[in-house]
Amino acid sequence: MPERLANRLKERRTELGLTQAELAEKVGVTRKTVNTVENGVFTPSATLAIKLASALGLSVEQLFWIER
Amino acid sequence: MNAFTIGLLAGLGAVLLIAVIAKWRARNKPMSVAEKAEDLSKRRARMLPALALIFLSQQATFFSQMSGGEHVSAEKAKISAWLVLSVVLLFGLATKGFWLEPKEVRDLVDDENTRANRNEAMRWGFLFAMGGAIGIYVLTMFEVVTGREAVHIVLSFGIAAALLRWGVLERRAHRPG
Repeated sequence: MPERLANRLKERRTELGLTQAELAEKVGVTRKTVNTVENGVFTPSATLAIKLASALGLSVEQLFWIER
Repeated sequence: MNAFTIGLLAGLGAVLLIAVIAKWRARNKPMSVAEKAEDLSKRRARMLPALALIFLSQQATFFSQMSGGEHVSAEKAKISAWLVLSVVLLFGLATKGFWLEPKEVRDLVDDENTRANRNEAMRWGFLFAMGGAIGIYVLTMFEVVTGREAVHIVLSFGIAAALLRWGVLERRAHRPG
């Protein structure tokens, strides 16, 4: 069974009332990158995962987890 | 001035003209760095498949002469223009592109996801170029293939495959979930 990095990025982002573009600007990437991470199309680097978690006020483990 | 030089100059002229038109179109659009990067990123996703098709369509002139006939001057010029296009596209694939934009825009438009997509596209380009080379090797057992023809086929396979793959990945990345 392949492993997949799941996340609650969209849920947390909407909770905070942020758009993809606003979150992207906070972490210094394009909206496209936030979109692909949210959709599970792209697995972010550790650096980006930490930046996203920090921008959303969560720990990396709260924001991302491995789904089997 | 011979036909090859005219072709090279025409190719360079076309590249410069495209750059000037792009700058002129963007003159009255005040945008933040993020908006500009988003705009360029979307434009690139639209442009890549079109560029691949234009690039492949340029092959017709060359391969129409593969039977060994002499190239007329106009065809020599087109082949030289194709060479310029190949070099520009290779630089576009290998670098961040958008060379006339400010550094902060170029850095943002080449963010983590873009680099991953570009690397994947380069991998495809390499595999297709190698596949083309193997195909030519087999073909030479039955047909005479000149060095120039072989280079043309390998470049066409590699560059077109990389452009198409990058275009597909970028369009997929922009698609809302």
